[in-house]
Amino acid sequence: MFFNRRGSKKYAYITARVRAMKSKLIQREVFPKMMNMDLAEITRFIGESEYKQDVDELAQKYSGIDLVEHALNQNLARTYRKLLRVSQDEPHYLITEYLRYWDIWNIKTILRGKYYGAPLEEIQEAVVAAGQLGYRQLVSIASMESINDIKVALENTPYHSAVSDYQGGMLSTVENNLDKLYYSRILSSVGKSKGEKLSLKFIKTEIDLKNLKTLFRTKKANLPRDEIMELLISGGAELKDGDLRRLVSLSWPDFIKSMEDYSYWSALSEVISEDMPSLIDMEAELDKYAMKYSSKVSHYYPLSILPIFDYIIRKNNEIKNLRMIARGKESALSNDIIKRHLVM
Amino acid sequence: MVDISIADATVEQILANQKGLIAIGAGLAVGLSGIASGIAEKDIGAAAVGAMAEREELFGKGLILTVIPETIVIFGLVVAILLLFL
Repeated sequence: MFFNRRGSKKYAYITARVRAMKSKLIQREVFPKMMNMDLAEITRFIGESEYKQDVDELAQKYSGIDLVEHALNQNLARTYRKLLRVSQDEPHYLITEYLRYWDIWNIKTILRGKYYGAPLEEIQEAVVAAGQLGYRQLVSIASMESINDIKVALENTPYHSAVSDYQGGMLSTVENNLDKLYYSRILSSVGKSKGEKLSLKFIKTEIDLKNLKTLFRTKKANLPRDEIMELLISGGAELKDGDLRRLVSLSWPDFIKSMEDYSYWSALSEVISEDMPSLIDMEAELDKYAMKYSSKVSHYYPLSILPIFDYIIRKNNEIKNLRMIARGKESALSNDIIKRHLVM
Repeated sequence: MVDISIADATVEQILANQKGLIAIGAGLAVGLSGIASGIAEKDIGAAAVGAMAEREELFGKGLILTVIPETIVIFGLVVAILLLFL
């Protein structure tokens, strides 16, 4: 083994540092206040907080909502890269694997952009260089015209196997392959010690939540059974392969009813019903559940990777909330609608 | 090494032998408790530096928490002093 899996000796520094970083996140009481600001005030507000450096750097190039968007993306990438920089050995390895999510995200974004013929600038705006692929590498991949060139560019990365069969056209298969690759990698990277078992459960819960969202969306859209099965990721904590197969074959009302059998019901009970008009509340509740769960388990085993995962989730959530408020204000949405989308 | 059998030893030799054992005991008391407090301080120190890197105002708290395990080695020292001088 190329790193020492035993003990928690490498975790004291990184977990304490991450906890200090967590204390600098925007408090939940601040978001309602921000909803009463206009876009310029929001920009100024985040320009005076942890995002100062990013806003200052980008203020010459962008303005308005673009500035906020770019500053948020850049800050997220910078924060995650910092985690990689200040960690070593086992935590470093696990963070690297966990943050491959963003590589997957970026590859999906680029492929989607290419599929819909989006201009290079737009793709550049959407990529978040928080994973192993750097910003320059991503931009160079995004500037490639043909799918084959992109595949060649990804040849030396672990993602090549997921995109190698893609010939252009519908993206669902390749996106699925990328998701499955990500989760199979991270599941196999976590070992067997006590703290790591909790991390494994954490990741499996994340898979469950992802599957639940997919199930709700696809069941609501009445997709055929085989297609839904294709989209689901196996390896969840509560929703095992058998459960997934059973849930997929149920009708919509039975599906809603069968949710009562799982512990996620506590989070979902108030927002799901047979005639639910939109899935926004359900998704927000599941995101909230993920946050609560991660902060709960991070206290069970403080000297492990869990507080770091918790921070990663919270930071991402903060960025999502800020983006939601800024975007909502820009398109003059009412505060109620914005509030429904916030995960606090 | 000189082989001393207790039966043949003079009173001076036995007293000297006992002094030597007391010195070894005192040495162990300080040495082992020093190693123990070192092990305890390792993680606390690393965590304190980590927290300080993000928030400098935690320096005071970090320093105090880091030296708390020093009490272990002070107990060791007290035991050693008791052994040697009482």
